[in-house]
Amino acid sequence: MLMSKIQEALSPLGLEQVAPGDYAKTGYHLEVKASPEQMPEVARAMLGVDCFLESLTALDLRESFTLVYHFANFWELCRTVVYASLAKDAAAPTISHVYPGADWYEREVYDLFGIKFAGHPNLKRLLLPEDADFHPLLKDFGATEAKAND
Amino acid sequence: MIELGIEEKTYTLNLGPQHPSTHGVLRVLLEMEGEFITKAEPVIGYGHRAHEHMAENRNYHQFLPNMGRVDYLHALAFNQGYCMAVEKLIGLTVPERGEFIRVITSELNRISSHLLWLGAYLLDLGAFTPILYCFDDRENILDLLDRITGSRLTYCFYRFGGVPQDLDDEFITGTRAFIKRLRKRFKDYDNLVTKNIIFIKRTRDVGVFTREQAIRYGLTGPTLRGSGIAYDIRRSEPYSAYPLFNFEIPTGQRGDVMDRYLVRVREMEQSLRIIEQALDKLPEGPIMAEKVPKRIKPAEGEVFQAVETARGEFGCYIVSAGDIKPYRIKLRVPSFGNLSILPEVAVDTLVADLVAILGSFDVVVPEIDR
Repeated sequence: MLMSKIQEALSPLGLEQVAPGDYAKTGYHLEVKASPEQMPEVARAMLGVDCFLESLTALDLRESFTLVYHFANFWELCRTVVYASLAKDAAAPTISHVYPGADWYEREVYDLFGIKFAGHPNLKRLLLPEDADFHPLLKDFGATEAKAND
Repeated sequence: MIELGIEEKTYTLNLGPQHPSTHGVLRVLLEMEGEFITKAEPVIGYGHRAHEHMAENRNYHQFLPNMGRVDYLHALAFNQGYCMAVEKLIGLTVPERGEFIRVITSELNRISSHLLWLGAYLLDLGAFTPILYCFDDRENILDLLDRITGSRLTYCFYRFGGVPQDLDDEFITGTRAFIKRLRKRFKDYDNLVTKNIIFIKRTRDVGVFTREQAIRYGLTGPTLRGSGIAYDIRRSEPYSAYPLFNFEIPTGQRGDVMDRYLVRVREMEQSLRIIEQALDKLPEGPIMAEKVPKRIKPAEGEVFQAVETARGEFGCYIVSAGDIKPYRIKLRVPSFGNLSILPEVAVDTLVADLVAILGSFDVVVPEIDR
């Protein structure tokens, strides 16, 4: 089974958490917590079991960031989510040398959150204009708030 | 003195952002050596409307109309992905008839998206006639969906807990007549396009994606299935009423442009099969869940819901902090992953081949830009 294969591949890395998820509630079979420095190793392990990078994004938790990586597989249903907590002024190592598809995802995260990825070959803005001087998905980004009806 | 730069070996060619073959506002910066491409860099973001930022400033209901505008060609799949994610978050179940109506309308929408692609793609390759036939067929679908949903393109039809409008007899007879008509038309398309020697020469063995590339770039949808991997969310991670129907997942063998064309054409036939079965088995009953809260305030938590759109996997990732507004919504869009392979496959091809490859992704650029 793929899930045990992934657990096996991740176990030598000494990650903070590798636990089964509540699929019916969240859509995850496996929930993993790692440090950003471990991500290239995690990515290599995931590629080793033929998983692909489904999505990469970040959450601004005000005191810190959390990078959220989703992995899935073409042949067997098993979605793995990897959370990596990142301090506000720190840079995360890139995984674009393992998954070239991560290149654009990391540029998008840099563009929208201002998170830098060390070792990324071409870290520049992706969706916003090159001369933009803001990162719009930061929680303290001062855009006028549309009124949400209660 | 003006430098003529004659000694330089390469030159830069700008494809787009207003080039007809880029389907929206996509720009590709090409570095050329003679007629061959040595480097291709897609430049995206011209259609960025900040949907993810808008999501954080609206309540769950208010964000619903945005979903029809991310990928406007298969808007109903985006409706469905978002609705299902919110339903999972607050624990709503859609009644069976509601699910059937979702499947029927979403599959009709898939066919209309593929028909538009078919016409526009052949136009890219220089065949003018097919687009007129494709739009004629597509018009039928738009009329049918207009009747039920009230709009022709940027649908906002599904609600949390079901659908707001039931199917009527005219829709059902109209859809059955359309299925019959389109099946006849497939033979015409086959004769007109598939066996056309110019078309074959432009597409066979051009833009091949291998299995390894598909994993490393996270390709999904017909772009992936052309390379022989039968990954379709409707089968791999079944949702809605799809497990109740018989259908095949068409795949290619060589992974070239021709295979991606064949996969899409055969997929339309499968969609017709699904619609036909759904109409036959359409159960009676309510179309909306009984107790849908007017004010949606999910508990803290998160959810990832994937659905299969015409272009591939759409994943809706919602993080709730227990507020009436989502804390974060990330839209994992299929064309984003698909297009990111372009710099690798464009090297050492001709510009004419690049146009053939670019079209074979079936990109909707505003979906990438979000």
